[in-house]
Amino acid sequence: MKKINKVLALTLSMLIAATTMTACTSGKGGASGSEPGSEPGSSASEESTPTGKGGEIYFLNFKPEIAEVYDAIAKDYEAETGVKLNVVTAASGTYEQTLKSEIAKKDAPVLFQINGPKGYAVWKDYCKDLKDTELYQHLTDKSMAIQSGGGVYGIPYVVEGYGIIYNDAIMQKYFALDGAKAKSVDEINNFTKLKEVVEDMTARKAELGIEGVFASTSLTPGEDWRWQTHLANLPMHYEWKNGNVDLTSDATKEITFEYADNFKNIFDLYINNSTVAPGLLGSKSVDDSMAEFALGKAAMVQNGNWAWSQISGVQGNTVKEEDIKFMPIYIGMEGEENQGLCIGTENFFAINAKADPAQQKLAEDYLYWLYSSDKGKDYVTNQLGFIAPFDTFTDDEKPADPLAREVLDWMGKDGINTVTWDFLVFPNQTFKDEFGAALLEYAQGTKTFDEVKQIVVESWKTESAGNNA
Amino acid sequence: MQKTLKKYFAIFALPTLIAFALAFLIPFLMGIYLSFTEFTTVVDAKWVGLRNYIEVFTQNQDFLNALWFTVRFTVVSIVTINVLSFALAMLLTKGIRGTNLYRTVFFMPNLIGGIVLGYIWQLIINGVLYSFGVTITAKPEYGFWGLVILMNWQLIGYMMIIYIAGILNIPPDMIEAAGIDGASSFQILRKITIPLVMPSVTICTFLTLTNSFKLFDQNLALTAGAPSKQTAMLALDIYNTFYGRAGSEGVGQAKAVLFFIMVAAIALTQLYLTRSKEVEN
Amino acid sequence: MNDRKKSGGLLLSVLLGLLALLFLLPILVIFMNSFKGRFFIADAPFALPSAETFAGVQNYINGVQKTGFISAFGYSVYITVGSVAVIVLFTAMTAWFITRVKNKFTSLMYYLFVFSMIVPFQMVMFTMSKMANVLSLDNPTGLIIIYLGFGAGLSVFMYCGFVKSIPLEIEEAATIDGCGPVTLFFKVVFPILQPTAITVAILNAMWIWNDYLLPDLVIGRQYKTLPIAVQYLKGGYGSKDMGAMMAMLVLTILPIIVFYLFCQKYIIRGVVAGAVKG
Repeated sequence: MKKINKVLALTLSMLIAATTMTACTSGKGGASGSEPGSEPGSSASEESTPTGKGGEIYFLNFKPEIAEVYDAIAKDYEAETGVKLNVVTAASGTYEQTLKSEIAKKDAPVLFQINGPKGYAVWKDYCKDLKDTELYQHLTDKSMAIQSGGGVYGIPYVVEGYGIIYNDAIMQKYFALDGAKAKSVDEINNFTKLKEVVEDMTARKAELGIEGVFASTSLTPGEDWRWQTHLANLPMHYEWKNGNVDLTSDATKEITFEYADNFKNIFDLYINNSTVAPGLLGSKSVDDSMAEFALGKAAMVQNGNWAWSQISGVQGNTVKEEDIKFMPIYIGMEGEENQGLCIGTENFFAINAKADPAQQKLAEDYLYWLYSSDKGKDYVTNQLGFIAPFDTFTDDEKPADPLAREVLDWMGKDGINTVTWDFLVFPNQTFKDEFGAALLEYAQGTKTFDEVKQIVVESWKTESAGNNA
Repeated sequence: MQKTLKKYFAIFALPTLIAFALAFLIPFLMGIYLSFTEFTTVVDAKWVGLRNYIEVFTQNQDFLNALWFTVRFTVVSIVTINVLSFALAMLLTKGIRGTNLYRTVFFMPNLIGGIVLGYIWQLIINGVLYSFGVTITAKPEYGFWGLVILMNWQLIGYMMIIYIAGILNIPPDMIEAAGIDGASSFQILRKITIPLVMPSVTICTFLTLTNSFKLFDQNLALTAGAPSKQTAMLALDIYNTFYGRAGSEGVGQAKAVLFFIMVAAIALTQLYLTRSKEVEN
Repeated sequence: MNDRKKSGGLLLSVLLGLLALLFLLPILVIFMNSFKGRFFIADAPFALPSAETFAGVQNYINGVQKTGFISAFGYSVYITVGSVAVIVLFTAMTAWFITRVKNKFTSLMYYLFVFSMIVPFQMVMFTMSKMANVLSLDNPTGLIIIYLGFGAGLSVFMYCGFVKSIPLEIEEAATIDGCGPVTLFFKVVFPILQPTAITVAILNAMWIWNDYLLPDLVIGRQYKTLPIAVQYLKGGYGSKDMGAMMAMLVLTILPIIVFYLFCQKYIIRGVVAGAVKG
């Protein structure tokens, strides 16, 4: 009898010990070498020293559409250096939320990204000074980096542009029609003309073989960033530009949404000349829109060059590569004939200052590898499709996809004013979500645009004042 | 034996107790404490007294809206689910062929998880609404009734089983005797069946009540609060307050404490009611 | 009279048949749509697949690859089986202990366990996930310990109710035969507790298998269980792939249905027992 007791007691204690052990060792993420609660740096154990083999980098990725490419990069990088890149991707529209909960954890992300000065203000305690990193030395335009008090806290890693993507084949078909409102895309250089053409195209959509001019204006929560962030950038850009507002000052804590009517102009044009009725937009995703465009059901769609993979990846794709072009988003501002695409970045790498220094070093090495080694650069240009802002890339090491080419073309055009990405100073995700929800209600006809405007102004104020910095 | 057993505390009670302390007791006490503080991580908590509780109601209307939505939803769910499941139970105790098969089918949705249920019904409801040119986000009422339908689908089978057990407990000769005395089937239902299944009614009412009141997964998957948080229930509102943005964790925790008090009040009422019933019998 | 009864029965059968079909319809719709191309689902969920819209098993391939279905399924099985086993055993031991050893401490424990049953998860979600992280319990194995702690309330309560009904004489007889408490428990008490153990196992398995928020908060970024994987399909890959979503829904439901059809008797019995006691 006693024997059984002993055996049982032993088994139980082993079970408990085993669970606690596995709990410690199978812990995820980077700190495979550091014990719980150890001070950063106090235990740079062998496996996480940068010179030795191994180690792990926890990277919290912002771009879900390229998560799979990062997985491939991780595999290659580990094969080459023995360092494991642990890529975790936040679902669309939840990056702030995910970062918030992850960074407070014991094994926090080492490599993460901030979306500009607002992001830096929130995460500044965690942003390491990157002035001395190799990658920063190669940044072509140093003013693009997030700087504060002589330090550099975020390095932009991609230049992106967005506008209205159009299918030139459909446009040419339209221009060839009798009584077309324009004969070439070059004539469309302001909102009035755009509206005229779009509405005429809608009237003749059967002849053109399309279901609508614009692909659906996706307004499902989490799928509405093209409007509450990207489209909203234009009126805000002009409000601040015309009001001579210094974007780094507190003057951006309140807005009047002065050009709300211009926003309404283009938004109405989108939803009234679309492939689907406005009431159905609440279930549409970005993916749906891109597919409609790829399948030739729509002639235009507002998005950026990152959407190339979504267009090319659609089965039964009918759009030819050479027919995919960009035009600027015209919202009816004075002098917009010279307006270009919206070009900038909201993607800045930051390294967690509170992480183990050995891991910080690993992250720096990885970044430099990605943007300077042949293999890394190949991934960046050809798989991630990034226009990389570093001088390690030669002129022919630019992405070959049509959208990236178009962005580069527009950047080089003379006399064209590129619209900067001023949405970097939008208060936070909550503001964007509330804006998006209001737009959905407007599209469905349950809110007036005046109410939307009011929500935007008020939510902006509340969220800017919030203690989120 | 008690004495010997006592010495085995470490084997018998300690593992559960440790896990219980880690997963429940300590987090619970910390939760109460944190509701009076401002914090982003646990270590940086600053005492702010009742401010969080005041902000629950003053910061915006979200909590009250969610409460009102939850209460309405709960009431409608209790009524519809209980009426329908009782009716089904009556039908399935009539000795119709295939009763077992029907029981199996009706009960099945109960085993499917809330997230999956939410997406199933999102597709179905949107599919129906599509023909009217709208989606479930068009009006809060759509989300409301969508949730009610979903909840009915999930819980009817479950409640039906409990009612069947209750109905089968009624001595058949009582009903037979009433029938011989000339009572109509409606009279039998009202005077005999319903009073005798009252214990089942209590159980089912409280099960639907707590399940509906604490609903989260289904709410998240079906509408996630759209349009504009108007279909967010309490649990979802608390979640959003916590994780939506930095800086309102304290308010989120205060909401959670209020939520806990409400749920506890419901549970205590139930306990009181069942106790007094037991005494009666 | 007899005739009327018969036709009434027929009517009822038809009604019930229709109702049953209505109950199955949502699942059938999902199943049907899982074979349609991703862009033909949301707009016309009730249309049968046609030559144009039929996608074969492509959605299943996409879904399984994208979401890491296999690993999600593995984690779900591991966590559910592990937690249920641990809960069934340990809470039985605890329940027996606190019922048989009567003192202030054990009755305090009992009340704390009962108390925990009425506390909604939202009350502890933040602090608990924090705790799990600090103690390195934020991995599938650690999650089993969390589930033991969080599920202890209901399970201990149910066991206690049953232990009270076991006549002390049985245990005393065994003690006289020379059994120590551990042997006594495993040889005598636990076998008697078996019906309750099955109920406890079923209730916990249903809860843990379908649980979303707790595992999402504790281990969700690194390890995805099935409900997390399904939720992550929305927006987790840049956009929602309706086809993969349908396939994943089918794959998530299927094991539950199979399991249910095999263990129906126990499941229904367990659920009723749980409802009556809880």
